[in-house]
Amino acid sequence: MNPMNKKRERDEHLEQLWYMKEEGTDSMDVLKTNMEQGYDAAIIDELVSEGLVELKHQGNTITLTKKGRDSARQLIRAHRLAERLLHDVLGGDYESGACEFEHTVNPELVDSICILLGHPRTCPHGMPIPEGRCCRQSSRTAQSSVIPLVELEVAQSARVAYINCKSDQQLHKMDSLCIRPGAVVTLHQRYPTYVIECEGSNIAMDEEIVSNICVWREPQNFQPSEADTPGRKGRSYRRRGKFRHGKRGRS
Amino acid sequence: VGDKGKSKKDDNSSSSRPVKRIAIIGLPNTGKSQVFNNLTGEYTLVANYPLTTVEMKRSRCEIGGQICEVIDTPGLHCLYIHSEEELIVRDMIFKEAPDVIIQCIDANQLKQSLTLTADLLELGIPLVISLNAIDETARRGVLIDSDGLSRILGVPVVESVTADGLSTKLLKDAIGRASRGNWSLRYGEIIDEGISAIVSELPEKMSFKKKAAILLLLSDPFLADYLEAEYGEEKVAQLKGLVSRIRRRFRGNFGSAINKKRSQWIAQIAESTTKKHKIAPGEFSKVFGRMSRHPIFGLPILVFFLVTTYLLVTHVAGFLDSILSAALLDPTVEYITELLPSGFWNEFLVGDYGILTLGLFNAIVTILPILSVFFLMFGFLEDIGYIPNLCVLTKRIFEKIGLTGKAIMPLVLGFGCKTMATLTTRGLRSKKEKFIAVYLIAFALPCSAQMGIDIAIFGRIGFKAFMIGYGALLIIELCAGLALNKIIKGEEKSFFLQELPAIRIPSPKAIAKKTGYRLYWFLKEAIPIFIIAAVVLFLFDKTGVLDLTKTLMSPIVEGWLGLPRDIVDVLILAIARHEAAAGLTLKMVDTGALNYIQCIVTVVITTMFVPCFANVVAMCKQMGVKTGLAMAAAINTSSFILAGILNWILVFTIGR
Repeated sequence: MNPMNKKRERDEHLEQLWYMKEEGTDSMDVLKTNMEQGYDAAIIDELVSEGLVELKHQGNTITLTKKGRDSARQLIRAHRLAERLLHDVLGGDYESGACEFEHTVNPELVDSICILLGHPRTCPHGMPIPEGRCCRQSSRTAQSSVIPLVELEVAQSARVAYINCKSDQQLHKMDSLCIRPGAVVTLHQRYPTYVIECEGSNIAMDEEIVSNICVWREPQNFQPSEADTPGRKGRSYRRRGKFRHGKRGRS
Repeated sequence: VGDKGKSKKDDNSSSSRPVKRIAIIGLPNTGKSQVFNNLTGEYTLVANYPLTTVEMKRSRCEIGGQICEVIDTPGLHCLYIHSEEELIVRDMIFKEAPDVIIQCIDANQLKQSLTLTADLLELGIPLVISLNAIDETARRGVLIDSDGLSRILGVPVVESVTADGLSTKLLKDAIGRASRGNWSLRYGEIIDEGISAIVSELPEKMSFKKKAAILLLLSDPFLADYLEAEYGEEKVAQLKGLVSRIRRRFRGNFGSAINKKRSQWIAQIAESTTKKHKIAPGEFSKVFGRMSRHPIFGLPILVFFLVTTYLLVTHVAGFLDSILSAALLDPTVEYITELLPSGFWNEFLVGDYGILTLGLFNAIVTILPILSVFFLMFGFLEDIGYIPNLCVLTKRIFEKIGLTGKAIMPLVLGFGCKTMATLTTRGLRSKKEKFIAVYLIAFALPCSAQMGIDIAIFGRIGFKAFMIGYGALLIIELCAGLALNKIIKGEEKSFFLQELPAIRIPSPKAIAKKTGYRLYWFLKEAIPIFIIAAVVLFLFDKTGVLDLTKTLMSPIVEGWLGLPRDIVDVLILAIARHEAAAGLTLKMVDTGALNYIQCIVTVVITTMFVPCFANVVAMCKQMGVKTGLAMAAAINTSSFILAGILNWILVFTIGR
């Protein structure tokens, strides 16, 4: 087995154990079923000897150790960020792409992507993306290209990059109103409640939903009066203190 | 899903005159009811906002020489369900398997509608598309190639300007050509294989298996419940196992994957069928829409509409009233008095509680002019699409009283008809919000008919009284909301996501027609009640029961509320029908039986006291009979207490 494949298989096991942790199970049987043909007892032994996983109850339950959790967390973070990037932002097909990604990148690159995307909190499937150091420091050294819709000025338009969404229902409802990655939205009003325009219809929504919609910072060409004069770019996107992005509560 | 549709089809084939079932389906506020009216020649209420239709409506008519049952439905976004209204529609489709579906699409919202089109094509029921409001898009410089759309989708597409009903014939022709269309979208290998795997596991006799399989993959909770009820837990557990195996293979969210494939399909279609011409977007309707929900300009606009309504109702209706009185009421009373000079029959017909004076003429001479003017104004506001904008203006206030998301729209709709508004609370998931919303709708919120009459009464004594009375009602409603929000526990918050209809210039003909129907319904329903109430009061009066009641109630009525004892008549009539009570109140104001303060207190108490019968029924339907009745009782008690407090406040501030 070549070393790259080996690393890949180890990673897959660690990721699967993280999924199981999220689902609240530690049964060996579940791991075996979930991994299907990919399950490899030799790899489990190796992980145990490196102190990444722990077997209990005569090998019937399996859990990640602290060290194991840290490794798995890095992998999951990279995987889910990649999904966000490929699926919503670049508009590609993530079914195949993202699976390979986490095995080849280093944490610095992952953090850069995270900053670029404005520290997304969920992957396109709605699963949480583990926080990185950059999120905790709400690093602004590299400018995010994606900002929450609440940070737009009234009457500004932007293209939706992705939607942070907890509930399937909410996502479906937004989708049926055409609020989806790639759609152009215009913020019309903030008070007493937010009103945005999307595909010709006006939609009223509360602040929580608006702050879950993330849009591309770059001005689009359809607003010639506002956009594309280099000197103004920074100004027209100036931040409102209240919604400063790094301060959003993240657990 | 199951066998019901099938057995009906069998019935059809054996009977000599098959009935074709046609379901009209579409997004909220896309003109479904208008198409229904055009096809069947009946009239259901139409307006420019979502949630106008909350219940299924059916009617039979002949189309192309065949008897058809046409079904009007509440709005549906897609077959994955967000709310209970939508669930009724999907259940109807799955259980009854209509022979033809007419999808109404608002041409302004082509993209949004195509999601539903995709769902309907996937079902495989013959489809016709009615592309409504095409005139508006043309004005906005957007041209839709309906022939191209028809070619791509493989179903007939009829362009229509629904408000005119011109295209009804075209639509009727198209129903005969309804087709299953071209549907060849693939979702990717894993999902497609998963779908076929689930389809083969689904019960034999189930219809729409493919769609059901997709919904199961999306973990639609309602469908699982349905299957469990129909085919037993075991089957569902087996299906759920299968679904989770497929999910694991896919390692992703089917929702976004499927939605994404579809949005690509939709974007492609929309792109190839719409052409945009540059037309300056700053037209009147857009600006007006924005103004009407603006935090600063919105308020003056609201006040402008209120004052206009006040002036119209007071002056125009008063004028009509005097004409009708002179032409109808006075001669009749004179004639009868001449014919039957005093005595039982005179009193029975034209006395204080006569069936003509308090019954028939009260309805026709006093109430009808008020309602016709008010409904014209209200219909105008409905059809320009103004009303939903109020939910933007009032959002913060509602938040304070515990209504966060979906509960706002029903409460705003309560100004139209409280019964319908109560029914729209069906969509609310949070028990707390539902309780507060149902209670507040029934409490100090005047419905459109009530408001028209209130305005007429206040009109007799001045605009200041109108401000005091409605200010008091507003404060009472807010306090009730605050109190309920404190008392009832529950932290669930629903999200607020509300489409606002585009502002349109309404057609005068449509408003006139709507007002006509509203008045016709009022006369049909109310006149018998008016007459019966008059007879009951007459009998009470003759037998002395009325006098006894007045004496018993006098500590409350005279002492606490500060009203004359004859107001008991008004309260009794209010139980029968609020409009009847208002007629009598107007008479008392005119004869000087009520002073300034008493007049305000009377309006406030009759607005709160006894929500109308239909509203109580709707409350029981939403909250259960016990809670519904308890609410009604609580509302009645508090209306007496609060009206009394108002009386004393007014006495101390304005003086007797």
